[in-house]
Amino acid sequence: MKRAIIAALVVVVVAAACARILGFDDKPERPFPHRAHVLEGVSCVTCHDGIQDTTDEGPLNLPTTEDCVSCHEDPHDPRACGNCHGDPGKVATAAADRENLRFSHRDHLSVVQGNCVRCHVGVGASDDELRAPMSACLRCHDHDREFRDRDCDACHQELETEGTRPQSHLVHGDDFVRDHGTQAASSEQVCATCHTETFCAECHGADGAVPALPATLAFDRPTGMNLHRAGFMARHAEEARGDPGLCSSCHTSPESFCLDCHVDSGVAGGPGSAVSPHPPDWVGPAGSQNQHGRAARLDPASCASCHGGAGEALCVECHQVGGIGGNPHPPGYSSSRELHELPCRLCHTGEL
Amino acid sequence: MTRARAFTAALFALVVVALVVAPVAGAEPLRLRANALATAESPAGLMTLEASGQGRPWLAAEALVWMGAEPDLDGNALVVALVARDPDRRAQARVGRFVASPGAVRPTHIDGASGRAALPWGDVHAEAFGGVPVLSGAGGRAYSWIAGGRVSRSLGRWGSAGVGYMQRRERGRLYDEELALDAGGAATSDLDLAVRGAYDLSTPGISEARGLAAWRRGDYRVSGFAIHRSPSRLLPATSLFSVLGDAPSQRVGGEVSWRAAPRLDVVGVAAGSYVARELGADLELRGTLRLDPRGRGAVSLGLRRQNARIADYTGLRATGRFPVHPKFWLTSELEVAVPDESRGRGRVWPWGLVALRWDPDSPWQAAIAVESSASPQHRARADALLRVSRAWEEP
Repeated sequence: MKRAIIAALVVVVVAAACARILGFDDKPERPFPHRAHVLEGVSCVTCHDGIQDTTDEGPLNLPTTEDCVSCHEDPHDPRACGNCHGDPGKVATAAADRENLRFSHRDHLSVVQGNCVRCHVGVGASDDELRAPMSACLRCHDHDREFRDRDCDACHQELETEGTRPQSHLVHGDDFVRDHGTQAASSEQVCATCHTETFCAECHGADGAVPALPATLAFDRPTGMNLHRAGFMARHAEEARGDPGLCSSCHTSPESFCLDCHVDSGVAGGPGSAVSPHPPDWVGPAGSQNQHGRAARLDPASCASCHGGAGEALCVECHQVGGIGGNPHPPGYSSSRELHELPCRLCHTGEL
Repeated sequence: MTRARAFTAALFALVVVALVVAPVAGAEPLRLRANALATAESPAGLMTLEASGQGRPWLAAEALVWMGAEPDLDGNALVVALVARDPDRRAQARVGRFVASPGAVRPTHIDGASGRAALPWGDVHAEAFGGVPVLSGAGGRAYSWIAGGRVSRSLGRWGSAGVGYMQRRERGRLYDEELALDAGGAATSDLDLAVRGAYDLSTPGISEARGLAAWRRGDYRVSGFAIHRSPSRLLPATSLFSVLGDAPSQRVGGEVSWRAAPRLDVVGVAAGSYVARELGADLELRGTLRLDPRGRGAVSLGLRRQNARIADYTGLRATGRFPVHPKFWLTSELEVAVPDESRGRGRVWPWGLVALRWDPDSPWQAAIAVESSASPQHRARADALLRVSRAWEEP
């Protein structure tokens, strides 16, 4: 019996700790009861005094302790009311909105006849969502042209700084690296609403051979989305083999991009080097293992990463017409290119 | 000075003029940011300079320049672009160095120009680009020029669809020629769909095709993706390796994100691949726990298993971000990859980093870190990193 009680106590303590760790207990101990004040008929400007004159600059018009004690004459604690009843997250959001949005309470309050809840629709329902949603703006303002032309500047001064992400946005999840190209193909203008040219060039600049990967520059932000973070250099061969063509979809000049590093670091053969990255049975006479042909078909970009350009002469030594290497074309191969064009003329020397 | 460098320098001067001389009252502020990165290993230093501004309502400019990445490279410009648009944003022109990526045409870094305009009938837009591809710092093929364009149409409020074309030529010879299709949008308030495909015209066949569907509701987000890729067609048509024929790789998978608790996100990814009649699989499970309501601190743990053609490995990754002071963050990152076949490259590849970031409420930021790893290349390796950043905004 005693053990059961101890076990039950342990379970309760662990569950309580987990609930706190997981954030089920995140709300302020005594959040400010906006809803209760609304239901009591307290006008918003009673506490947010001055908001009726505020444009897109100036103070946040948050209530002070003096505003509270003007009604609650006998406060239960002498300290500032906002210490317990304020929500730092909501204050920060209000400050960010004031900085990044062009919005004049002065101009709007007369239109809604002082009824703030017409825009701040969440205030009457709960104390969780105080910010006016954008749908409240769209009830009066028809922004068809602005949506069509991606012209958000009238209200959003700087979207990238503001950091607002549309609810339905596909591309900023954990799968950003894999899927952003698919989404951006038809929505480049949507991307350009927030992101400037620099954002794309940080990865796609110069065939993906930018001098420092964003992951290297942002080494102190481990939760950032990036394909090349952490130990990527150690496992990049695994990543490349596991998904043929993945690398060359961005690194479109693989013949130099890979070779330079591999030769410099001594992990691949190069001019005058005795080192070969290939296994012993890589190239051999007909009937032998001769693995290089199959590997080349699976991921020709991988071969081109070292043997591209001038390195193609190595292949031609055996695979030119009449050579011992045989025909590298698969059955049914056809091409619209003429024999005198590259790359045909490299091997079809006698047929020109 | 090479012709390309001279071109870049001239454009950079134009941008500076546009940014500094042109601003008028009411314009967007001029923003500048500089990052200096130093590492104990070579390359020992890197400085990036970033500038953007909108001198006039119709004129914007931006630039990203880096310097001193490697001993034999003294610097380069990644972006130097001037953008002019009409007051109604119905037309836009861009000149300079930028990444051109109209629709499903593969992104290309060019020195050149592009334009985009809404045509007078329907919701049709046309865009075109042309220029000289920028060579990577490591060299690469010298495409003489590249040109292309795209015509797209809005599909009501649902989304848009377009068709693009691109060709690259070197000394008059055709290097690449590609036709691309794209479509995407929000099918419902919960469901987004997007597809893109590129067709190789020089050796007819599909270079790449991708599809994506994502559904989200409440605490769940579920997405599915399919990718068909032909590596031989991603190479230039003049490459000898393009004659090896089409051996496409296909990949199909899905991802589920779940906000399991107010501070806990769980993500699961499963993908299957089919390459040359061989099946492969890629599985990943990771969770992120925020340590406070605003997520200033967070820890994450992820596990990955890849089964694919002599590239099988298991990986574990853990990260942490801890606010140790209102102005200081301690961050750490640990990764361990274990290949199934070491082939003399080491049985375990660990990688770890511990960093301290100073982020006061001022234009200055700084971070230092110590990184250590073992890899196929290095039995043991350690590095120290330092980054200092400064931002300016005027007026």
